[in-house]
Amino acid sequence: MIFDEAFDVIVIGGGHAGCEAASAAARIGARTALLTLNLDLIGQMSCNPAIGGIGKGHLVREIDALGGIMGRVIDRTGIQFRLLNRSRGPAVRAPRAQADRALDRLEMRHMLEGTPNLSLRQGMVTNLLVKGDCLLGLELQDARRISAKAVVIATGTFLNGRIHTGRQTYQGGRAGEPASLEFAEALRNYGFRVGRLKTGTPPRLDGRTIDWDAFEPQPPDQRAVPFSFSTQEISQRQLNCYLAYTNEGVHRAIRDNLHESPLYSGKITGVGPRYCPSIEDKVVKFPEKTRHQLFVEPEGYDTNEVYLNGFSTSLPAQLQQELVKLIPGFEQSQIIRPGYAIEYDFVDPKELSPFLETIRFKGLFLAGQINGTTGYEEAACQGLLAGINAGLTALGRPLFRLDRKQSYIGVLVDDLIRHGVDEPYRMFTSRSEYRLALRYDNADERLAPHGRQLGLTGDEEWERFNKRRARLAAARRILKEHRLSRSDAQHRTLGQIAGQDLGDSITLAELALRPRMNAELLFDLLPADAKGEVAISDFESALADHLYSGYLSSQEITLRRLNQHDNLNIPSGFSFRNVNSLSHEMIERLERARPTSFGQAREVPGITPAALANLLVQLTMAQHLTQT
Amino acid sequence: MHCHGSPVLLRTIIDITLSLDARLAGPGEFSLRAVSNGRMQLTEAEAIRDLIDAHTEAAVHQATRQLKGEISKTIQPAKEDLLKIIVRLESSLEFVEDDLPALEHDTILESLRQLTADLSRLARTFRSGRLLRDGIRVVLVGQPNTGKSSLFNGLLGHERAIVTDIPGTTRDTLTEWVDMSGVPVRLTDTAGIRASTDAIESIGVDRARREAADADLLVVVIDGSEPLGHGDQMVLSEARDARHIVALNKCDLAKFSEVSFQNGHGGNGSKIVSVSAKSRAGFESLRAAVLEPFANGNGESQGLLITNARHYDLLQRSVEAIESSLSLLRADASEELVLVGLHNALRSLGEITGETTADEILGRIFSTFCIGK
Repeated sequence: MIFDEAFDVIVIGGGHAGCEAASAAARIGARTALLTLNLDLIGQMSCNPAIGGIGKGHLVREIDALGGIMGRVIDRTGIQFRLLNRSRGPAVRAPRAQADRALDRLEMRHMLEGTPNLSLRQGMVTNLLVKGDCLLGLELQDARRISAKAVVIATGTFLNGRIHTGRQTYQGGRAGEPASLEFAEALRNYGFRVGRLKTGTPPRLDGRTIDWDAFEPQPPDQRAVPFSFSTQEISQRQLNCYLAYTNEGVHRAIRDNLHESPLYSGKITGVGPRYCPSIEDKVVKFPEKTRHQLFVEPEGYDTNEVYLNGFSTSLPAQLQQELVKLIPGFEQSQIIRPGYAIEYDFVDPKELSPFLETIRFKGLFLAGQINGTTGYEEAACQGLLAGINAGLTALGRPLFRLDRKQSYIGVLVDDLIRHGVDEPYRMFTSRSEYRLALRYDNADERLAPHGRQLGLTGDEEWERFNKRRARLAAARRILKEHRLSRSDAQHRTLGQIAGQDLGDSITLAELALRPRMNAELLFDLLPADAKGEVAISDFESALADHLYSGYLSSQEITLRRLNQHDNLNIPSGFSFRNVNSLSHEMIERLERARPTSFGQAREVPGITPAALANLLVQLTMAQHLTQT
Repeated sequence: MHCHGSPVLLRTIIDITLSLDARLAGPGEFSLRAVSNGRMQLTEAEAIRDLIDAHTEAAVHQATRQLKGEISKTIQPAKEDLLKIIVRLESSLEFVEDDLPALEHDTILESLRQLTADLSRLARTFRSGRLLRDGIRVVLVGQPNTGKSSLFNGLLGHERAIVTDIPGTTRDTLTEWVDMSGVPVRLTDTAGIRASTDAIESIGVDRARREAADADLLVVVIDGSEPLGHGDQMVLSEARDARHIVALNKCDLAKFSEVSFQNGHGGNGSKIVSVSAKSRAGFESLRAAVLEPFANGNGESQGLLITNARHYDLLQRSVEAIESSLSLLRADASEELVLVGLHNALRSLGEITGETTADEILGRIFSTFCIGK
């Protein structure tokens, strides 16, 4: 076969997954190409121009700690930063930021263009080129053939994308962009298990036609907390967002026109995310609510465009215009782009390894929405992992995986390959049993060493991390050693705040566990030289570790009970085929992995709880028989 | 098995189990397979085992209830309440920007308090439940010829022990199961405790002492028609530190005197029942006195009893976990800390009834609250 061009790694798709993948593979040392339908739209946010939140913000931090780029990009382009759950514990705090959509896209492209080993290419992929189960390369619509040792497919919503607005439906990957049809068919022909999902987006409005005084402002944080560990501070100008509300008039009008909605008329078959419902969904499922909250989000410094968050819809375009005018504050508003719903193909992620490599073809990786996730952050972390592994494959190095105990990225990948998806998967902190250990502030402690070992973390970042590690150690020491005694000025005040007597001499560590104590109060007690040694953020991290340690142990005890069978031996020569009710797939996975203990069997990728139960029963019976 | 209608019951048990699986399998294999196939929960498999072991009709009823999934059903409302609270707290954490109703602390506190009360009450039935399943070990002790064997036979309702006038007839111990108001009682008759030169009798006396040591309750049988002798005193003093009652026998005789016993005995608060093994007088009171120390005390005997130590342990753990969350909530701790105990409790309850996945919790959140940004 003759190829027009050769690369080590090709990444198909320039969305958030694709950009992370391309950047990572290149920086690991592989000659990488990012192949996209439209070079002008690399890094484009498809719907809400915002990054982060609870769960998602945690992912961005982890991406940054590993050496990914999402955090840096949003730090430079965010126009409203807010730290969520400030009043709650550190484990559930997370950063969030609105972005200037255009700037964000340009920044992403700029970053990629500045990455050595990385080339940008425009084109549409129509087929994979394979030999047996080995990947050779790609075929493009314009007949070019490009060879690669590893490929990452990060096609987002473009595979067989179908857009719905009212009764109008047409093919597209995003509004105004073509769908990828031939490639979708090629994947089906190769035997990949393909399903349909859907998502939606709200209308965008002309900001000049909105009555801004009618809304409640939501200001940015005074002190913006950045996403990236490498960002010292956010210096760009910050803007307000605004809160608006629908009313019964709007709801009534929607109910009267449900038959026009493609979802309710049955035209759309794909499953949508429960946590991103259209306004039609909201009005139908929660009829008792007299008003629904909306967020009015400016799309950037230099544009009139405004994003109406919370009003996702696929009702007819003209109807959307009439409906919006019923919302208080929007009586004169003009819609620039109507909202729409989009259905697209996704591939069953149960076919993937923990490295995000397909079982079907070696060297082929899938990342992002194609795996059934929703959200830029969810896509980006998969792109990062897939890009790392595509690069490692090309270089002949061992692959890299993450555990669910150490990161939300690990939770996400594990959930996908173990359970598959019934609806678009979004990250929530409640998906992890280890929520208290996976905090936004300790992502670097958990993952930076990996980033360094992979070659993604540069010298400057590594130096910075080492300094922080030293400061954290100092903070822990200070917590244990520094004492507040009765003779100190603040003793009585703090005792009053806590509502109890603090004793003659109390360490900061003990004090931290008393009611209503927080990092600021405690940090204030430190002598000047200590304050110079440790930043308050380091102190907060050490404090959080201390606060949560007891809970983590009690949880560990409960979880260990559940995992108490881990040491159960699987004797050599044990036949998985003879285990009752194991599906062929489970038998294959077990035979391939050949675990020697139940604990190892639990780790086998894609093994289901039901299969584990069957195996446990069989092993226990076998054990009884040998004992009696 | 010496319980009522046992051959019929055995056949019923086999029928039930066969209906759950097509063939007669190795011991325990059928139920293990059914558990792994998901057709039966673990609690039901345990119920089958209990059914086979059951010694009384009441125990059969309990085991059958467990088989019908009653434990799961009983715990299900509690699990529901717990889930509702978890959903509430998780939502307020995770969807902090959505328009959710404010957390009502007091309502949640009250719900949790009610939950611990309900689960504790269920756990407390374990004591009676265990007795229902394992039975009470009751041992008859006393001087030779006080009528222990006659009493034994009388309680059984049929002749089992050899009764003669010759003191020291019972050379060995005899054990039988008897049903007292649905509670299985393992009744043991022993050799009369006395110093004996007879080698065989000595062995019997020795065995009697060992049985007594394992007993849940001792019934000290005294001849109430004779004055309290040195031997009786010896037996009473040996029994004093154990749980015991006194059966003052031979109340059918004219010489019988309860008062003289009480005077002689000095009364240390032991329960005394006057009986006649010959005429069966006082037997109702005797049976009641045997069961009384083990009564539930809650009047819960009609409801479901926890018979399984594993269930008891798991219920206790969930109560403790919820209580730790309660104290955190009272101290205004942040929700993610409160949730640790609640999730631990949910896992423990889940070991009885089946796990609730993170996905299920999320599903409940989205059907309860309008979330969507």
